[in-house]
Amino acid sequence: MQRHWRIFREFFRTCLVEELEYRSEFIGNLLSSVFGIGIAILTIQIFFYQTDQLGGWVYEDVIILLGIFNFLQGLIDFALRPNMSRLLQHIRRGTLDYVLTKPVDSMFYVSFRHLVFWRLIDVVLGGGLIVYGLMQKQYIPSLSDFLMFVVSMFSSIVLIYALWMLLMTTAFWVIRMDDLSFVFNSFFETTRFPITMYQGWLRIVLTYVLPAAFITSTPAAALLGQWNGVTTLVSLVVAGVFLWLSRRFWRFALRSYTSASS
Amino acid sequence: MFRKYMVLLRMKYVEMFAYQLATIVWVVGAMIQPLITMIVWMNIYPQESDSFVLYFTLLILVERMTSAWDVWELDREIREGTFSYHIVRPMHPIHWAIAENIIYKGLFLAVLLPIWIIVAFFVPALQPHMDWAQWGMFVVAILLGAAIRFLFSYTCGLLGFWVTKVSAIYGVFEAVSLFFSGRIAPLSLLPPVMQEISLYLPFRYMIGFPVEIATGAVTGEAVGFGFLGSAVWVSLLLMVLGLLWRAGLKKNQAVGG
Repeated sequence: MQRHWRIFREFFRTCLVEELEYRSEFIGNLLSSVFGIGIAILTIQIFFYQTDQLGGWVYEDVIILLGIFNFLQGLIDFALRPNMSRLLQHIRRGTLDYVLTKPVDSMFYVSFRHLVFWRLIDVVLGGGLIVYGLMQKQYIPSLSDFLMFVVSMFSSIVLIYALWMLLMTTAFWVIRMDDLSFVFNSFFETTRFPITMYQGWLRIVLTYVLPAAFITSTPAAALLGQWNGVTTLVSLVVAGVFLWLSRRFWRFALRSYTSASS
Repeated sequence: MFRKYMVLLRMKYVEMFAYQLATIVWVVGAMIQPLITMIVWMNIYPQESDSFVLYFTLLILVERMTSAWDVWELDREIREGTFSYHIVRPMHPIHWAIAENIIYKGLFLAVLLPIWIIVAFFVPALQPHMDWAQWGMFVVAILLGAAIRFLFSYTCGLLGFWVTKVSAIYGVFEAVSLFFSGRIAPLSLLPPVMQEISLYLPFRYMIGFPVEIATGAVTGEAVGFGFLGSAVWVSLLLMVLGLLWRAGLKKNQAVGG
C-alpha cells in the first residue's frame, strides 16, 4: 500500500511538471469549467421553472447532488480518463509488454500513470457548489452526517473506479474502438439526478445491476442528514464486490492477452 | 456530377462498415441524454407522460437525422495540414462531407424506422398522429434542419484557418443550443423570454421546429414563419460559408508557403 502511494506521488510529480509547461492554457480551461457548471445549473433551473421538486428532492438538494456529480466527474477526468486511450494503444501496438514487465501492479499502473491536473478545477467547483447548496438550504450537517458523507463518497469513488476498469478491460477484445469512455459517460449521466426520479425496473437496475444510486444519491442524502447505516453499509459492500470483480476481470484479460509483436 | 457522387457514396458506405461497432455505440450513447431528460419531464408532469415519450423519441430521430460532425474533422485536418490533400482535389471538399452525411443518415433511417414501426405497434404513445400535409412539412423541416446544422458546423470548422480553438467555440454554441433547440425541454415549457429568443437563433430550426410540426405544437401561421426562419438561416449560412471558404484558401496558402 505504502509503496503504491509512493509510486502514485511520483506519477503525480512527473505529470505536474509536464503540465506546467502549458501554463498559458490555465485561464481557458478555467473558463470552460466554469461555463460547463453554469450550463448544468441553468438546466436544473429550467426544470425547476416548471416544478418545485424532482423525485422528492427540492432545488437546493438537486444542486448539492449536482455538486457531488461535478466533483466526481472532475476526479474521473483528472485520474482515469487520460489513461483510457493509452491503454487502447498499448494493447493495439503490443507495448503493454513494457508495462507488464515493470515491477508495479499492472492494473494500478495503467489506471493512474497519466494525470491531467487542470481537471481538478471541476473538483473544486463541485465542492463549491455543494457548500453553496447547503448555504441556500441553510442546513449545517452534523458531525455524523459528515462522517456518513465521507464514507459514502469513499465507496462511490471505489465503485466508479471498479466500473471504469471493468469497461476499460474490455479493450482487450474490443480494439476497434477509439474511445470506450463514451460508454461510461452515458451511464454516468444517469447519476446527475436523484435515484428516486427513476421508476419501476429502471430504478432496480440502476440500484443493483449498474449501481448508479450509490454514486451521487447516497452521498447527497447523507450530507443532508437523511442517511441510514444500512444503506451506507450496503454501498461499501457493493463497492467492494465490484472492485473484486474488476480485479478478477483484469487478471482474466491478462491471461488471454497475447502480445501483438511477432 | 451524378457519377462522381455515386462513387463517393460507395466509398463512404464501405468506410462506415469498417467502424460498425463504434458507430452503433455512438448512436446508442447519443440517445441516453434525451431519454434521461424525458424521464425528468415525465416526473414533473406524470399525467402527460405519453406526449413526452413521443416528443423525445421524435427528438432523438430528428437529432440523429440532422447531426453534424464536420467541425471536428475540419478542425483536426486544418490544424494537422492534411486538409491540403482535399483542397488540391478537383472537387470541392464539401462534397465528401455531404456524401458521408447522406450515407450515415440513410443507413440510420433504414435501421431505425423498422424498429420504430414494430415498437409503436405495442406502445401506442409512439404513434404520431399526422396528416399528409404534416408528414410532408415534417420531412422538409428535417431536411432544412440538417442543412442548417451541417452548414453551421462546416462554417465553424472553416474558422480553423484562423483560430486554433475551434472545438472550444463550437462547444459553447452546442451548449447554448441545448436550450434553444428544444433538447432540454419542449420550447413551450421554457420561460417566455427564451421562447422569444429561440425564434431568432438558428438552433430551433435545427431540431425543435421539425419535432414541433410532428407533435402538432406549431400550427397555422407559425409554421409559415418557421419555414421562413429556416430558409433565412440556410441562405445566410451559405453566404458566410462561401465567403469564409474563399478567404480561408488565401490564408491557407500564406501559411503553407
